[in-house]
Amino acid sequence: MDAPVRVLVADDEEDIRLLVCVAVRKAGGTVVAAVADGTEALRVASAERPDLVVLDVSMPGATGLEVCEALRADPGSSGCRVLLLSAGASPDDVARGLAAGADAYLPKPFTVAGLVAQVRELTVGTPA
Amino acid sequence: MTAVAALRPAGPGVPALLAGTATAGLVVLLADPGTPVLLVAAAAVALPVVELARRLRAQLSAAADLEQQRRDLVTRGQSTADELEVATRMMKARAQTMTSVIDAVTEQSIIGTDRDGLIRVWNPGAERMLGLPRAEVVRVRSITDFHDPEDLDQAAPFASLVQGAQDNGSDVRDWTYLTTDGRQLTVSVAITPRTDDDGEQAGWNFVGTDMTEARAAERLKDQFVSLISHELRTPLSSILGYLELVMDDEEQPLTDEQRQYLTTVERNAQRLLRLVGDLLFTAQVDAGRFTLQPEDVDLAGIVRAAEDTARVTAAARGVAVSVEVPAEGLVVRGDALRLGQACDNLVSNAVKFTPAGGSVTLRLSAAERDGAPVALLSVSDTGVGIPTGEQGKLFTSFFRASTARRNAVPGVGLGLTITKAITTAHGGTLDVASAEGRGTTFTLALPRLES
Repeated sequence: MDAPVRVLVADDEEDIRLLVCVAVRKAGGTVVAAVADGTEALRVASAERPDLVVLDVSMPGATGLEVCEALRADPGSSGCRVLLLSAGASPDDVARGLAAGADAYLPKPFTVAGLVAQVRELTVGTPA
Repeated sequence: MTAVAALRPAGPGVPALLAGTATAGLVVLLADPGTPVLLVAAAAVALPVVELARRLRAQLSAAADLEQQRRDLVTRGQSTADELEVATRMMKARAQTMTSVIDAVTEQSIIGTDRDGLIRVWNPGAERMLGLPRAEVVRVRSITDFHDPEDLDQAAPFASLVQGAQDNGSDVRDWTYLTTDGRQLTVSVAITPRTDDDGEQAGWNFVGTDMTEARAAERLKDQFVSLISHELRTPLSSILGYLELVMDDEEQPLTDEQRQYLTTVERNAQRLLRLVGDLLFTAQVDAGRFTLQPEDVDLAGIVRAAEDTARVTAAARGVAVSVEVPAEGLVVRGDALRLGQACDNLVSNAVKFTPAGGSVTLRLSAAERDGAPVALLSVSDTGVGIPTGEQGKLFTSFFRASTARRNAVPGVGLGLTITKAITTAHGGTLDVASAEGRGTTFTLALPRLES
């Protein structure tokens, strides 16, 4: 059996962060770290090289969009998938997220089932 | 003996000569050879006299004419002078009225310039807004002196200022005015060309309203709405997410009673979420930041989905919902999500306002309006109705009909405002027909694509 996909979770809201962790585990992944700000997310991402990063857009330190752009600019994390979560649900918000290099964008509030499906979809065939 | 006496015996020849012509004189001369010399002399004198008399008469008559003309001219001159005086007085009065009107305007700046931007008119509103008295401005300063240079093309500042009005006949937009004490004002300025009496362009008018505070308030409202929206969505995300975890936990199934309670919690959380969405959407509409994602949309699908959404609530209230849509569907160009929202709003309203035992009917049909193909989507109910006097206010934000308040129907009064905004953005219309106590029909008409 393949080793589970390794996921980094970043959201400044603790309740949401825990909820995302539950969804990641339900999707068969393992949470390498759950952090509360963007700078910390970048540090962990370069140390741990996760397969997937789930990022809240509005975070202290660096926003999810900035973290996403930095990940895309770093050759070491080029294979890393990025899922953005945000309270902004307008088409403009989604377009900005995808322009920053995200693989998927999920507006809040999301359903746990929807997040589980999204995590599975993004990590299909990801070598562990 | 005079020539006249000598002529007398000549009988009828003389009066004929006196009264007559040179030809008549010649006739006498030939017919009476006894007095040829006298007659010739008489004729020679008589001719100039007659001519003189004739000329005198003509001159007298001409003099009389001239006198009459002179009198006419004097009279006419007098009345022209009178008219001129009246006209001058009227002009003065008009100019006075204009000046007093312009001077009475203290909340708007009215600035007139020549064709090159040199200021010619400066009302007290401009004085108050920008801090300089008329005497220091008129014929001295250019309008561009009071504009933030960043707003203007530095190579041709005045031309760039009036470009919009030049192209479109008039131009209204926000500009930044600089006051003499160094403040920046956000001013909505209407720029129009001014013409003289011959229709030639004489200059430009700039009528400005200080919007600094209003714009700041709008920005604050925008920030507030997006903050509230974020702050409400985040806890609602938690509530709904954890509810889902508990309700879907297969290892620890809930009792029926627990599930019923949690279903109530979930329904109310969803209601709060919809309210947040509606508030945010209304703010976007107000700010003009509402955009559509157009695609080909089958309204039949939208109507069926709205029926689906309303079915559980309608059944619980004892209201029957029926749908009449063309089997082949009906396609319009629009934003499927927003059209669905508009239709859902109408159906959920119809169900809310219809007492048990009543019915709600959703109809979709193709029609023509003013020769253009339209899709008509109507939602009819047998509910409490809307008083005639209140129907005009239905599409105003936060308005609630007295029948809604009297019957304690829940809601904040945003659904129809949103539905109307969505319809208008699609180039459609939303009409209402209602009779109190008998029911209401909302009809949404959208431009239809010809199949």
